[in-house]
Amino acid sequence: MTELTIALAKGRLLTPSLKLLASLGYDVREAADSRQLVLTAHAARFILAKPMDAPIYVEYGAADAGIVGLDALRERGVNVYEPLLLGYGACRLVVAGRPEFQNAEWKMLAGLRVATKYPRVTRQYFAARGLSAEIIEVYGSVELAPRVGLADLIVDVVDTGRTLRENGLVELAEIFKSQAVLIVNRASHTLKVNAIRELIEKINVKRET
Amino acid sequence: MLTQSLDKQLPDGVADLFFNDAARKRAVERTLAETFIRWGYSEIIPPMFEYYESLAAEAGAQLCEEMYRFFDREGRTLALRADFTIPVARIVGTKLFDRAMPLRFFYIGSVFRYTEPQAGVRREFTQAGIELIGANTAEADAEAIALAMSALRALGLHDFRFTLGNVAYLQALLRDLALDDATQSALHEAIRRKNTPALIQQLDALNLDAAHRDALAQLPALWGNDALDRARAVNDAARAALERLRAVMQWLARYNLADFVTLDLAETRGMQYYTGILFEGFVHGLGFAVVSGGRYDNLIAHFGPSIPAVGFAIGVERVMMIQRAHASIAPDAIAQVYDARVAEARARGRIVEVDVLAQSDDALRRYARVRGAREIWWRDGRVESIE
Repeated sequence: MTELTIALAKGRLLTPSLKLLASLGYDVREAADSRQLVLTAHAARFILAKPMDAPIYVEYGAADAGIVGLDALRERGVNVYEPLLLGYGACRLVVAGRPEFQNAEWKMLAGLRVATKYPRVTRQYFAARGLSAEIIEVYGSVELAPRVGLADLIVDVVDTGRTLRENGLVELAEIFKSQAVLIVNRASHTLKVNAIRELIEKINVKRET
Repeated sequence: MLTQSLDKQLPDGVADLFFNDAARKRAVERTLAETFIRWGYSEIIPPMFEYYESLAAEAGAQLCEEMYRFFDREGRTLALRADFTIPVARIVGTKLFDRAMPLRFFYIGSVFRYTEPQAGVRREFTQAGIELIGANTAEADAEAIALAMSALRALGLHDFRFTLGNVAYLQALLRDLALDDATQSALHEAIRRKNTPALIQQLDALNLDAAHRDALAQLPALWGNDALDRARAVNDAARAALERLRAVMQWLARYNLADFVTLDLAETRGMQYYTGILFEGFVHGLGFAVVSGGRYDNLIAHFGPSIPAVGFAIGVERVMMIQRAHASIAPDAIAQVYDARVAEARARGRIVEVDVLAQSDDALRRYARVRGAREIWWRDGRVESIE
């Protein structure tokens, strides 16, 4: 049988992803606590990648398939197949800002500054609405930006919304809902057609039970 | 004058090729040209730029956006060619439409697209491909696919698989529904990415009859050898599209190539001029397609009479990423001076370099070693072999 290489996004998706794979019969016990970035279980190899990197591994074919967040997938804009939503890792990508921007006041402002880890999605969202925004790409603690005057708004993922509240921010608009998604490299889909089909069917059967 | 900053001597997406890489590229192009010629194809060389309006014909919004455009002195908009299929269609539609059909053309050259950085995508890249014009038959479709596979084999790439679909099937399903453009392109995008969840969500919002809804909903999963048996023929056009794929597979079996094909009815790609079969070729070791092609029966009619055609292009740079073949640029010998011996050897096809710097013997030996030459021919007639 053809061996598949599967990229797994680290971070909050990793534990449920490993649980899913274990339930499909892959021996991934090592992955949970080891620091290794590449693991071999029978008939598969796993690459543990940063959430934003995982889609790129799949687009270039370094991995045949991947389990990634929809947020990272849209941000990287990669050309891959995305046959299955996996139903876990739910969160939302939102525009947030100080309470005075509620009632759509922020849409009236010219020269908005938006801090985000998602510059591509943010640019598309604002451009599609005819809003000119200056996008400030930051790598962490996005929610700090409005408090210290770095930006007017932020675009970030929220889960419970607690981080927003703690920083005195409110949600102004939802861009999209995210969750874990199975993606497949376009070449692997053809070159390893049977192995890919088997993987998709196994996950489908699992999700139905 | 060259810009001062060394990190910006070249724009993104272009490359300089020299020494072995340049030789390797030409070797790939030579092999492809020889293969195409053996199948009866002759070369066609369209201009590097022409009127934007002709190139924009049926190119689709995305390709149009990606074209490099500029003005001539009269203010007319010109564009660099972004593919060969459209210029070839223009030439056939305006000049060659009354010739004996079919016409078989091949081309090799640069195309230019202003694209976002993406896997395996450059802004100037080389396409080598064919167009088989004037035959709307399954035999012609099969010849295009078989020739693409044959070309890969000639390059030493044997471990390949092709996907084959027929965009006419999706078009047949959509024709009955009279959807607006935005809805169609959203459906298209979901199908193209095999995004079943998004597709189902969109279909449920549309209130379609069960036959069309189910036929569209199953499209992302319509791949594999049983795809034709699972596909639903909701109307005659859909039935004909499935029949055509069956016939193409039968012709490919005659070439002993059917086993290298995976059917995929969701293969519908971006370029809007395709009307029939669509195929992509993949080689083990590369994460994106090396070959891409399909049938376009309405493109030539944009420039002249309606003439059907099918073709494909091979990405030469992508071939070079996987093909490990070595092309040598080392001379057979380095001669200290030009003499009759040099002329004679060159006439026999050997590669001989002559020293034009009057270098010392030691310097010439060092140079010969760097160049990978096998012999040095000294002025006095001695021949020295180099290990």
